[in-house]
Amino acid sequence: MVERTQKEVWKITPWIMLLLLLSNFVLMAFDAREANSEQRVIRVWAQTTADFVQSPATSLSSGISNYFQSISSLRTAQSENDILKQRIQELEIEVQNSKSLTVENERLKSLLGLKEQSAYKTLSAQIIGRDSSAWFDTSIINRGSLDGVKLNMPIVTNGGLVGRVTAVSPLTAQVALITKDKSGLGAVVGELGTSNALGVVSSNGRKELLEMGYVPGSVEVKVGEGVYTTGQDGIYPAGLKIGEVVEVRAGSATVAQQIFIQPSAKLSSMQEVVVLLYEPPPRPEFDKSLPNAAKKK
Amino acid sequence: MEHVKITVALIIAVLLQWTLRNVAEPFAYIDFPLIIVVYAALQGSSIRALFYGTFAGIAVDALSGGLLGANGFSKTLIAFVVSELVRRVYVDNLLLRIPVLAGACLLDDLVYYGMHRLLGQEPTGPFVTTIAYTLIGTTIAGTIIFLLFNVIFTENVKRAKREVFTPRRQTRRRNPIRLSDRR
Repeated sequence: MVERTQKEVWKITPWIMLLLLLSNFVLMAFDAREANSEQRVIRVWAQTTADFVQSPATSLSSGISNYFQSISSLRTAQSENDILKQRIQELEIEVQNSKSLTVENERLKSLLGLKEQSAYKTLSAQIIGRDSSAWFDTSIINRGSLDGVKLNMPIVTNGGLVGRVTAVSPLTAQVALITKDKSGLGAVVGELGTSNALGVVSSNGRKELLEMGYVPGSVEVKVGEGVYTTGQDGIYPAGLKIGEVVEVRAGSATVAQQIFIQPSAKLSSMQEVVVLLYEPPPRPEFDKSLPNAAKKK
Repeated sequence: MEHVKITVALIIAVLLQWTLRNVAEPFAYIDFPLIIVVYAALQGSSIRALFYGTFAGIAVDALSGGLLGANGFSKTLIAFVVSELVRRVYVDNLLLRIPVLAGACLLDDLVYYGMHRLLGQEPTGPFVTTIAYTLIGTTIAGTIIFLLFNVIFTENVKRAKREVFTPRRQTRRRNPIRLSDRR
């Protein structure tokens, strides 16, 4: 091994620094891309390598925290048990009711001659990590391209829409939450087809709330109404629940309303999510021949 | 031997950065790899600190929504700046190291944010809040980690010194007054 004097080290250090800075800059420039374009191979490699260490580490840390949580939750177990027993009885009655409703629904459908439309295929996933930088708020799930996950696939929980897949490696995928995603999604307040309150939902910087824009001031929107996807953004399918209106700042005939939405999904505490294996229908041919699309090429 | 310990500490720091946010959100505001990179630079091993900065940064970026290499860039720069500071100014005291760490954290965040803006990828976190929280979190955690390292590493240094330089036998000095009395 070559021994260097302190002077030699001081001389060589700036050159090494420049070399490392340059290589990092090249990586950054290579990784910087449009939000909806294809992802870079280098990120897939980096994520796959990280997963081999992250998955065991996450399961270990969650195991330890679960152990302590289970100890603390023992205190409230008795009262919870009583509540749950009561809830089971209520649910049994509800199940009986819904069974009869399903039978009735089937009968009516057959009467109308409607065909059963299959919903999207789903894939359950677990959140194994959160963004390692304080500047971003993505989540990592334990499903990747080997499970059929692709870029921009929607992620939901039983509460509602969570976000979309922004990067996929063979074993994991990165999910951008709707509260942090800069790209907007098409939405409607109330029932799709009956409501005129169409607009675009995007994050507004306030961590827990979403903002809906472009809703004409002449359309009436009430606090507490549900907000659903329209499917017009080319990413999310129609009919997914985004959240509920919590605040409306009225506009006028020419100025759009400002609507604030509380997401239905519990984004800060969720541990399990569902990936909708949904691929949007291909864009029509005329879309590709737009002047902007030609310029990009 | 010390650099092996720092390398192990760096690997642990990256693992903590990857996992702790999933346990509790406030851990996002502690930059563990930066603390280790600054510590390595403060020890005077400048070249090693540069490589630590690059590799730890890229490892953190791999699981982040940000640009791959942004953290590597900022941490390499921090390692160089701190190494140059150590070359010129005596910062062998924990009290002096705290403002160095705080300054490094601030610069790291500014460079990270600036590189994203430069390449048209605006971070989603609020600028002032994220910088302030990261500064507080990293400085507090860094001070504790530096204290811990002082205990671990300094003990070994003391022991090694004791082994190399055996304590000198104390000889009794003659009292010059007594000598004069005898006469």
